[in-house]
Amino acid sequence: MCETNDEEGGGPEGDEGPVDEQAQFSALLEDSAEDLYEHAPCGYLSTQLDGRIAKINTTLLDWLGYQREDLVGRKHFSDLLTVGGRLYHETHFAPLLRMQGEINGIALELKAADGARLPVLVTSTVKTGSDGQPLLIRTTVFDARDRRAYETELLRARREADQERDRLQVLATTLQQTLLPPALVDVPGLDVAAHYHIASVDQVGGDFYDLFPLAAGTWGLFLGDVCGKGAAAAAITSLARYTLRAAAVYDPDPVAVLGNLNTVLNHEYNGDDPRFCTVVFGLLTPDPDRGGFHITLASGGHPPALLMRADGTADFLPTPGGQLIGVLRDAHIATTTVHLVPGDTLLLHTDGLTEAHTGPTAGGDDRYGDDALLDFGRALAPTTASSTISAVRDLLDTFGSGVEDDTALLAIHAPQPPSEEQQ
Amino acid sequence: MTKHLTLRTRTTTAGPVVEIAGDLDYDTADKVRAALPGLGLRPGQQLVLDLAGLSFCDSSGITVLIAARNHALAAGASIALAAVPDRVSRIFRIVGLAQVFPTHPTAAAAEAAWRPTGG
Repeated sequence: MCETNDEEGGGPEGDEGPVDEQAQFSALLEDSAEDLYEHAPCGYLSTQLDGRIAKINTTLLDWLGYQREDLVGRKHFSDLLTVGGRLYHETHFAPLLRMQGEINGIALELKAADGARLPVLVTSTVKTGSDGQPLLIRTTVFDARDRRAYETELLRARREADQERDRLQVLATTLQQTLLPPALVDVPGLDVAAHYHIASVDQVGGDFYDLFPLAAGTWGLFLGDVCGKGAAAAAITSLARYTLRAAAVYDPDPVAVLGNLNTVLNHEYNGDDPRFCTVVFGLLTPDPDRGGFHITLASGGHPPALLMRADGTADFLPTPGGQLIGVLRDAHIATTTVHLVPGDTLLLHTDGLTEAHTGPTAGGDDRYGDDALLDFGRALAPTTASSTISAVRDLLDTFGSGVEDDTALLAIHAPQPPSEEQQ
Repeated sequence: MTKHLTLRTRTTTAGPVVEIAGDLDYDTADKVRAALPGLGLRPGQQLVLDLAGLSFCDSSGITVLIAARNHALAAGASIALAAVPDRVSRIFRIVGLAQVFPTHPTAAAAEAAWRPTGG
């Protein structure tokens, strides 16, 4: 446009064209205001204040299939509405129109002469006289069939998306279950309990644990946490779980087991998308002389286990220097040994517990933390495996949505022999 | 619940310094990962991650720090962390990464400690 103006010699902008050409053009546009009213691309309707139809254009009559004399002076606007629409008109549309003097873009359904329904968008204004008294109501009616079809399509798409999400949640839950043992094996003389807290039903978490028999009289257990969540984490969780079980069969030395897992993960994942996990692996051997179990724990960068003793004390079992598994070529694995005497309980956990948001709304900056967990253990000791798990589950419940990450819990407890319990 | 993560990159004679502020977690870690290729690390340079403004770091955050280390090592460069918050250094101790990342009290100290290796 600017270029054209320049070529025309920079004259004043606007109506420079020949006068007769303009007249022809406007004649073509609006030869008759009456024709525009009757055949406008929308319906026009004027009603008296009580809703009685005073004037209606041809467009709307055609849409509805009525003759003018069927409606004018005989019917009310609300007579053209469906039952639901009439109710809405009575309770919302008409009162609002009276109050505001206008109402815009209300979706209603009109009933045609043949009973068909016509979705429309209705806008009304109240025409007032010079003294401000309301005289009549002017209404425009837009055909909303396309829009309604679009909305129906949106609803259908949404229903499908909801169904997809339900299916995904079932899949995620199923996948999660395959990553956990269906039931923990029965170890003679050991009380065992476990819990898996799912933080999100949409995403598979990366926590795992297991307890399983090894060569005669020994048992292996592990609990770990793969970084991240979702399908990628689940794949590594699966790999970690089966690698740990297989490695423990060949060489149950906890350092060797975690070393093997480190090699496997380090080969699989590196570069800009490294994947690691932190794991505690334990080897349990019953101690026939002193009772209870001898346990060797190896840690690959995992939060320390919590020992709650029979005498009511509690402490973490740190394994300083142990490194996370999967990203360093020669990850250092640190070990510690403990004798689980009758009455002692050992809790392994993932950091979903200690990293949980606490506070009234669970949305604050405060995280539960290791110190709080240690205090919790001290208050709980002496305890049992099942009491520990149920106490921590209650604790997780108090955090509500503050638990952002999945949390795995595995507790083992050496019960007092029946004779001692009676003393 | 998650605080926004902001990254600010500047260049020093020792190499790029990336200031990471906010929560570094599952939802934000990719932002750091995506920024790595654009750093243009050259052999012998030192990549400094300045964590002074870091409010939270979870396992996904740790992952991306390791990704940054892998990225630096692959480019023949080195990596150092500056102003590691107590919470994060505690996590580093637990997962055994304290020995893997050289750390300095400030980004300036990290820069001062850098010695050109000649690539």
